[in-house]
Amino acid sequence: MTTVAMRAWRDARRGLITLLILLAGLVFAVLGGVASAYPTVEARTEIARLATTLGPAATGMTGPAVGVETMGGYVQWKYGTVLVVIAAVWAIIALTGTIAGKALELLAAVPLSRRRIALATTGGLAGVLTVVCAAASAGAWLGGQVFARLPGDGISVGMAAGLGAWLWVMALAFGGLASALAPWFGRAVSAWIAGVVLVGGLVAVGYRTLSPALDAIAPLTPWAWTHDHLPLAGRLDWASLLWPLLAGVVLLGVGVESFARRDLGARVGLPRVRMPAFGLGGVAGRTFAERFPTAVAWGSGLGVLGFVLAATSESMARQFAGSPALADTFERIFPDFDVSTAGGFLQLLVQLLFVLAGFAAVGLVTGWGADEETGRLEMLLATPVSRAGLVLRGGIGLLGAVTVMTALAAAGVGLGAVAAGSTDVFQPVAGTAVLGLFTAACAGVGVAVGGITRMSTAGTVAGAVVVLTYLIDLVAPALRLPDWVHGLALTAHLGKPMVGDWDPVGVTVCVVLAVGGVLAGAAGLSRRDLSH
Amino acid sequence: MIIETERLTKRYGTRRGIDEVTLAVAPGEIHGFLGPNGAGKTTTIRTLLGHLRPTSGTARVFGLDAHADPVAIHRRLGYLPGEFGLYDRLTGAQTADYFARLHGGVDTAYRDALIARLGIDPGRRFRELSKGNKQKIGLLIAFQHRPGLLILDEPTSGLDPLVQQEFQALLREARDEGRTVFLSSHVLSEVEAVCDRVTLIRDGRIVRTGKVAELRDLAHHQVLLRFADTVPVEAFQGLPGVSDVEVVDHTLRMRVSGPMTPVVRAAAGYELLDFESREPGLEETFLRAYETAS
Ligand SMILES: Nc1ncnc2c1ncn2[C@@H]1O[C@H](COP(=O)(O)OP(=O)(O)O)[C@@H](O)[C@H]1O
Ligand SMILES: [Mg+2]
Repeated sequence: MTTVAMRAWRDARRGLITLLILLAGLVFAVLGGVASAYPTVEARTEIARLATTLGPAATGMTGPAVGVETMGGYVQWKYGTVLVVIAAVWAIIALTGTIAGKALELLAAVPLSRRRIALATTGGLAGVLTVVCAAASAGAWLGGQVFARLPGDGISVGMAAGLGAWLWVMALAFGGLASALAPWFGRAVSAWIAGVVLVGGLVAVGYRTLSPALDAIAPLTPWAWTHDHLPLAGRLDWASLLWPLLAGVVLLGVGVESFARRDLGARVGLPRVRMPAFGLGGVAGRTFAERFPTAVAWGSGLGVLGFVLAATSESMARQFAGSPALADTFERIFPDFDVSTAGGFLQLLVQLLFVLAGFAAVGLVTGWGADEETGRLEMLLATPVSRAGLVLRGGIGLLGAVTVMTALAAAGVGLGAVAAGSTDVFQPVAGTAVLGLFTAACAGVGVAVGGITRMSTAGTVAGAVVVLTYLIDLVAPALRLPDWVHGLALTAHLGKPMVGDWDPVGVTVCVVLAVGGVLAGAAGLSRRDLSH
Repeated sequence: MIIETERLTKRYGTRRGIDEVTLAVAPGEIHGFLGPNGAGKTTTIRTLLGHLRPTSGTARVFGLDAHADPVAIHRRLGYLPGEFGLYDRLTGAQTADYFARLHGGVDTAYRDALIARLGIDPGRRFRELSKGNKQKIGLLIAFQHRPGLLILDEPTSGLDPLVQQEFQALLREARDEGRTVFLSSHVLSEVEAVCDRVTLIRDGRIVRTGKVAELRDLAHHQVLLRFADTVPVEAFQGLPGVSDVEVVDHTLRMRVSGPMTPVVRAAAGYELLDFESREPGLEETFLRAYETAS
């Protein structure tokens, strides 16, 4: 039992370190950023006033604006949900990977019952999560010790613990959902569903005042249950954490039991469209066909989100119209945005879309890179296809998959804009292309490194690019880091395409990374041994 | 020569892969590449394919340098890797189709015959297949375009005996059409059954090359006779093919190469409690090959 749990720890090691740095580092860094960006009582009062007057429309993806004038309160408001999303995404990926992947392999290797293996691996991952959340608490407490300068800035042990506990139960709830689904639907589908429930719930709770439909589903999500638990703002609602905890434990139990009772690898016959096989004509077509399901999954996820956001834009515009003071405040913080259009609203949340588009790239190049590990490359490169030709044609196939993803996202945005009766449908739809450009650029970097070193590194490298880009774009302005640092984030150069404002520099860089990456990968693979 | 290597060496960092392998495979023969696990068979084969770059030495296939011109070689080659993967979601027929296109088309009648003879279910997805059935798909892909040279790395692993027989028939047919086969194995009897010539490799070095008939000389039996009374050593010592005679109490041990008849005849004249004959493993055969080589 313990050895299996140890194995889960070992397998999670890379994720553990990344997550530790991401969560604990992020909490600590943004606390410092807030303290230095708003060093005076006046500055704090001003930002707090803005946060509260903006209302849920502009800040739906952030938390409730409570105690924003304190250092912790600001971080809670602006980044609290981001922290939960990071922890929950890790839990979803790790648990589906375990229940639908690793644990299956262990079955053959370890003389333990299915139930014990599932329990031990799940328990091991819960342990990893505990360490990570404890580290986030420590980061918050330490940040309080180091950076607190104004009255109310202090972060008590209880507040810090409240943050870690919140992250822990939320990650457990969403990860539990994924693990309950995994034995039935397999890894990818369960992760997709849990991801949609995670982000969808956040959107629903954030924008519930704008749409009766969202208001109806909002109470179903853990985001709503813990809505009043704002630990870093000093508002602790410990009892509310019991609900996600309960949901998490029950769902994990369902996951373990389902795993114990179901046949290996058996899947529920999803009502999936049995497509005729395509992509048998060549390497480009095959790569495209192999990556097609991933592209559709991410594209439809982006499309659903884009639809909701674009469709909500109209009600938000109405709010602004009803309150000139609000519109005025908003214009002062975001001078370049016209949130009365679907595009303006989407541009406001474009960071989130970039992260999703980036992870789509990770999914795509991870699949591409599996060719080498799984021994397909060994077969393919024994045919009259050259190594460079294989990477170049694979790159074309990947580009096709990115195009499918982007088209679906654009369709969602367009439909949403039409549904909202937005005045401008074309610009946000065309602007969605920037997501595809970013995906292609991240994929290009992955293909380059994968081709040069080992194809299986492609996913990790693309993931590092996405996470670093996001962190730099998030933290550099908050920490008032020099412009060149912020400039390292690709997403800082992409203009505001959702409202028709394109930045040729960013577009060029994306194209160069995508095309150049594939060329570099082709050259790299031609010059090394194939690995097994 | 279809395959020709000259002091071919491959190191993995500081670890040994193969060491100065010199090897020649003639057109139209079935050439066995025999050696225990870890001997360097896969390393040699992957270097021939151009998948590994040699540390030193050269490898030529069809007279072309394997490292410089792999694509020209691959056009005329069928390859079954020792370990491989394919597309989980594709059926056998779809997979074969795809690889056929990469080779610029195949004779579909021949392919259908292969599918039937190997007992492949072309409609099943690769993911759903057992190890042996996956191996059959690999064989189909290696054979279907009728390549002039087949390079097969431990091709029979996972195949049931009936399919193994069919596979051997396919190899002989390929040879009879003038095509060449280079096949690795760690099973002596398998190589013996189908190969014309054989090269032995051990610890990354070639031990010897020769006709399979010569390999048969290597094959010998360890015979153990237990007598009721004193052991008549003299009756066995001079017999043809008998060597290394050894007596412990009432038991006589000896090595017998070639036919067993003289030993059986001699033993028939005595009161025997037990007669045991054992085929030695590949390792022992190799030790013997070493002795004869040096
Ligand atoms: N990728 C690799 N990295 C390091 N050593 C390797 C690698 N592949 C093979 N070897 C080593 O090279 C030797 C020969 O291996 P291999 O060619 O696979 O043998 P065989 O196919 O005869 O079983 C072994 O000692 C093995 O450990
Ligand atoms: Mg081998």
